[in-house]
Amino acid sequence: MKKLFLPALFVTILFTSCSSDDDSGEAISNNVEAPATYVFERDGASTVSFSGQTTRLLMAEEILEAFKDFDNATQTSLQNMFAHVEGAADFSSEDLNNSDKSVRSKTAASKDFFGANTTEAAQIKTTFDGYISTQINEVFPNQNVAAAPGVAGQIADGSSVRYVTGKGLEMNQTFAKGLIGALMADQMLNNYLGTAVLDEADNRSNNDNAITETDKSYTTMEHKWDEAYGYLFGTSANVANPLPTIGEDDSFLNKYTGSVNDDSDFNGIAESIYNAFKLGRAAIVAKNYEVRDEQAATIRQKVSEVLAIRSVYYLQNGKTAIANGDMGGAFHDLSEAYGFVYSLRFTRNTADGMSFFSRSEVDSFLTDLMSEGANGLWDVTPATLDAISEAIAAKFSFTVAQAASAE
Amino acid sequence: MILKKIFITLLFVTTLYACSKSDDINPEENQDNFDRAEMLVNWADNIIVPSYNDFNLTTVNLISFTAAFNETTTQENLEMLRTVYKEAYLSFQNVALFEIGPAETVRFYDRLNTYPTNISEIEGLIAAGATDLSLPSTNDAQGFPAIDYMLYGVGENDVEILEFYTTHPNAEKNKAFLMALVSNINGLISNVSENWTAGYRDDFVNNNGSSAAASVDKLTNDFVFYYEKHLRAGKIGIPAGIFSNNPLPNTVEALYAKDFSKALALEALNATERFFKGQSFNTSETGPSYAGYLNFLNTIKNGEDLSSIITAQFSIAKNQLNTLDTNFINQINTNNSAMLQTYDELQRNVILLKVDMMQALSINVDYVDADGD
Repeated sequence: MKKLFLPALFVTILFTSCSSDDDSGEAISNNVEAPATYVFERDGASTVSFSGQTTRLLMAEEILEAFKDFDNATQTSLQNMFAHVEGAADFSSEDLNNSDKSVRSKTAASKDFFGANTTEAAQIKTTFDGYISTQINEVFPNQNVAAAPGVAGQIADGSSVRYVTGKGLEMNQTFAKGLIGALMADQMLNNYLGTAVLDEADNRSNNDNAITETDKSYTTMEHKWDEAYGYLFGTSANVANPLPTIGEDDSFLNKYTGSVNDDSDFNGIAESIYNAFKLGRAAIVAKNYEVRDEQAATIRQKVSEVLAIRSVYYLQNGKTAIANGDMGGAFHDLSEAYGFVYSLRFTRNTADGMSFFSRSEVDSFLTDLMSEGANGLWDVTPATLDAISEAIAAKFSFTVAQAASAE
Repeated sequence: MILKKIFITLLFVTTLYACSKSDDINPEENQDNFDRAEMLVNWADNIIVPSYNDFNLTTVNLISFTAAFNETTTQENLEMLRTVYKEAYLSFQNVALFEIGPAETVRFYDRLNTYPTNISEIEGLIAAGATDLSLPSTNDAQGFPAIDYMLYGVGENDVEILEFYTTHPNAEKNKAFLMALVSNINGLISNVSENWTAGYRDDFVNNNGSSAAASVDKLTNDFVFYYEKHLRAGKIGIPAGIFSNNPLPNTVEALYAKDFSKALALEALNATERFFKGQSFNTSETGPSYAGYLNFLNTIKNGEDLSSIITAQFSIAKNQLNTLDTNFINQINTNNSAMLQTYDELQRNVILLKVDMMQALSINVDYVDADGD
């Protein structure tokens, strides 16, 4: 008995102690084989399409630029960009202006989380509207004022200039990092990768019988999966083989998946996500929905981890900056942290189908961050930053220390 | 059974070892017996404070000669002002590497030497009659690069430059802004200098441990950062096009004075070399230093003393730099490969200082390239 037990234990120890990031690269599962790159064809034509996602990523990039366009941006112009309507000249390119897509309409708009929760969805959209109005009405007027507790203005972060509210928040950061959760992760994890969307109506039987959408080469189910893919890789230099440039292709989920992947503690996470996308898509082609859903679960877990790791990373870097007396650097880090923490609401725990963090948990983190004194980030203490970091990390298998260092 | 226990232990060790990759970054508290306190005293009393004092005096001259120029705006006074401007800019090269304590607090380097300068921002500040240049968004419209523009760049020739301060409709505002520029520089160095003598010197010297927050660790990072970013990249690499598709001659230091970029680079390289050797600002005497520290530790690289290798590399880089045109714009436009060679020689010491030396001294690099957001 002993003899049998011990070797089994060794094997368990070996595997569990190294399992954090080694589970990538499963090319074949249940007779489903993933292709080398994200290329899928039917009768010689590509069946991959996610132009709507690429469009929204590009729109979001321009909104982000406009947040710091002190000379030209107004509340109306920013709001129009956010809630674009077809034909309005909100953006720099005709393609974007002529698009019927908008960022705001897909913000907090997933079927799983907000299909029957329009109250919260409306609140979230209003929160993003508020970031815009705060930027225009509080930060812009104080462009050439030095920031101080309770006074919006500019503050140095190394050689960079940051423009913050009276509470030390950079609204372009809360907007951008919040959007990573409310748009990209929510659409991906809680909309397109969910069975409510993938298996909606006749999607399964159509996919089983290779019935494509009218005038399209893809089945609806294939397309939904691709749309999830597009929120991560929609602006990649090579959308079929996106890993070589991961981190460089947008200012949103791609960028920060790349950042997390560059940390040796989490190296391989980008490949895990990419491989799951490939294998899941191949599973749809092979009509193997069990394998498809396993891959969706992997993506949900890993993308949720990216948001959580990055939350802790910025909270801890903000703590270090405060310790060094570098308030400009601290505000920048903590504004990014604010946005990532806000994004945690849109993570997806496959164990219960809910977010890893409830609305009230996220709100309480943000209250802790902003309400330690009268002036928000000017008053936040290391103990609070540690407490939030620990509470976030506790839901995952990484430690605060692993997330805090990017090496 | 004993064998089995050994096997178990080995297995655990192997497992732990295989998973420990991220835990071995921080070196232990430095255990060597080198007297860091003595080195800090040498740095503070023989190098940093005297360098600050010298620079402070040059900025007092800058104010006097600017006042004289504003009072009597002549070619002669313009030339005298340019001379003291150059003296001050050269002296600044000896303090630029000490971005610690009071200097760090006031963002000393960024406010004194962000280039290329921003002409439209300068014009806006002149029009607004600005005298307070403490907002970080004005970094690129003040300091020596802005003075360089005001003394050499506001006209095609000296006649036009003098007109800028005499017959120009905004002549009075132009004079006022020139005075604001030199006053801000003087205010910054006075503040830094006073803070060093009023207490920071003792804090600096007494913080003689070895941790990320200790003086040696912090100033070493500042020193190597300066050498890498401001000297190697800023003065040579960026203008030579190392980081871009083409050379960028308009990004040289002292763009408008034209014949001054090499002198500034040489002064800066000398300052870093002297600091490495622990050489006093006012004499050729040396005291406890990086070179001495490395010798104390007997740090060897490829069979040779690391301190000797670094010192030799300083000489090689200096010799290469000396071959360049006094005006880097000419050098870039006629033979940029000599700029690239200079960059390469400077880069060799980045590796030796940042990797070999800092590892030997058990100092962690505390800066990374900004992630750009």
